[in-house]
Amino acid sequence: MLIELKDVNKTYNNGQPLHVLKGINLSIDKGEFVSIMGASGSGKSTLLNILGILDNYDTGEYYIDGRLIKGLTEKQAAEYRNRLIGFIFQSFNLIGFKTAVENVELPLFYQGVSRHKRHELAMQYLDRLGLADWAGHYPNEMSGGQKQRVAIARALITGPKILLADEPTGALDSKTSEEVMQLLSRLNREEGVTIIVVTHESGVANCTDKIVHIKDGIIGRIEDNREHNASAFGTATIMK
Amino acid sequence: MRDVFTEIWESVRRNKLRTSLTGFAVSWGIFMLIVLLGAGNGLQNSFFKGGDRFASNTMMFGGGWTSKPYDGLREGRRIRLDEKDILLTGSDAFSDNVDNVIATVGVNGTASYGKKSLSVYIEGNYPERASMEKIEILHGRYINDKDIKDRRKVVVLPQSAAEGLLPDNAPLEDIIGKHIRVGNFSWLVVGVNKTDRMRGNEQIAAPFTTVKEIYNKGEDVDDVTFSFHGLDTEKANEEFETKLRAAINLRHRAAPDDNRALWIWNRFTQNLQMSTVGSILNVALWIIGLFTLLGGIVGVSNIMLITVKERTHEFGIRKAIGARPWDITKLILAESVTITAVFGYIGMFLGMLACQILDKTVGQAKVAVMDEQIAMLVNPTVGLDVAIEATLVLIIAGSLAGLFPARKASKVRPIEALRAE
Repeated sequence: MLIELKDVNKTYNNGQPLHVLKGINLSIDKGEFVSIMGASGSGKSTLLNILGILDNYDTGEYYIDGRLIKGLTEKQAAEYRNRLIGFIFQSFNLIGFKTAVENVELPLFYQGVSRHKRHELAMQYLDRLGLADWAGHYPNEMSGGQKQRVAIARALITGPKILLADEPTGALDSKTSEEVMQLLSRLNREEGVTIIVVTHESGVANCTDKIVHIKDGIIGRIEDNREHNASAFGTATIMK
Repeated sequence: MRDVFTEIWESVRRNKLRTSLTGFAVSWGIFMLIVLLGAGNGLQNSFFKGGDRFASNTMMFGGGWTSKPYDGLREGRRIRLDEKDILLTGSDAFSDNVDNVIATVGVNGTASYGKKSLSVYIEGNYPERASMEKIEILHGRYINDKDIKDRRKVVVLPQSAAEGLLPDNAPLEDIIGKHIRVGNFSWLVVGVNKTDRMRGNEQIAAPFTTVKEIYNKGEDVDDVTFSFHGLDTEKANEEFETKLRAAINLRHRAAPDDNRALWIWNRFTQNLQMSTVGSILNVALWIIGLFTLLGGIVGVSNIMLITVKERTHEFGIRKAIGARPWDITKLILAESVTITAVFGYIGMFLGMLACQILDKTVGQAKVAVMDEQIAMLVNPTVGLDVAIEATLVLIIAGSLAGLFPARKASKVRPIEALRAE
């Protein structure tokens, strides 16, 4: 198993204690394309933060590729995030004063890759995502879809084991959303990238092969969706 | 390294006004530091101008008047040194410290050459005095060993005396090889030295042995000068002086601790005291300068805090994609040091420029003190050592300014930073 969560609990102690994750058990295999679905407040964002080593959990165990992720120093966490995980965010989170190619290069910069080599690699990834012509542009000169593709290139460049996408289509129109989801599923299908998408949109979830429903901090149903017919809104489009 | 500077440039470029206003404060601080130190150096140089006329390891003593009754004799007796005092100073009793011992003996007289004449003091000297008192020979030579041995009637004139004797506008070297008259004797001029304004009248040097014989001085000497070694502290010098005073005083039947019977002029301790005053002045100027700089540093720290606040979200992104805390700390520290260093160097450059201007203007101005033209500021500039020290100060100051903001930036947790807008 690539990802294994065993009885993971998380409580926030801001004034009134809030038990957000109440014993999460989840296994995700290499090459899977999974979505985690739930309403807001269900704990799906917290789960994603824990999966992405952005946040700690209180009790339980979390393994990536057999490595226990627990009690890490900030430095170790940063290195694991850099090498194991690629992030895709709803608001793209590109750095505004850096060009597309510089944004894509950044994770390699933190690995200490030489200037020349990381530029070359970043150009390759941008090219694969059809953005070679936009390499020198700043994020505010690009459309939402282009920005998200730059973010995907940045997430992929280190060859991570897991791609974590937090509402990747949340800020996009339906046509672009569909393109982005198709891109993700193509990456999963053709290159075997393990992808976990957190969403509250059933249309987005329907693009994935497995849907994990989370409600009130507990995993409910795990739906096999290889037929892509789970959406209540239809099978072919992402409804907005 | 280039990546770091690219990052800094990107950040500075976005905040030009803010950065340059703060930078101005840093430049001002360093500017003041350099100008203060430069002016301080100028002041010290003008103080020390008198001090370095002599080799610093020489002592001079001469007879005074006794102030205490001793050995059956009353106070108020004149002490006259003689050649036995030279021998005593050079004897085994002091040989641990004393090197060369020389003495002078002289008389007043009138020198004349052609139609001109002036009153002079002709002093019998030894060749060693040239190095002990750093006598600067402009033309010809100083007294030499052969002059002493053969009791030659030769003299070395100070520049002012040579000018006084030569016809107007004649070149100085014209007097070399000419004979002048002093008293009833004719003396060959062998050299001209730079005039020492601290001396009273025109003092011309002749061989010790010649003066002694011509003027019938017998055993008498006016003062004794010697060079020494191995007395490195003020305390060691004091002990030595006490011992020397006791020995000389006893020879002349004066109380061993009678300070007025023998005056001792120790150039080493005098220089030591002067340099202590100098270093206190220096420290005071550094403190004033550093406090001025402090204002600039607080400014830099302040803008770095604002920068950190503004860039929290960006740091969150960086952390999410793998920036370690140190990477973030480094970013802020490097920016802080760079801003401080760049503007500091501008200030340092302008400060050095100001010192040069000071040198060309105020540095040339002279003030009349006791018939002598004294420059208030001599070479009011700072050396390479100060430039290096100031560089260190800038780097340390920049690091200090960035430290707190940088720590703050590196401590923000990525999820909180990502949430920030």
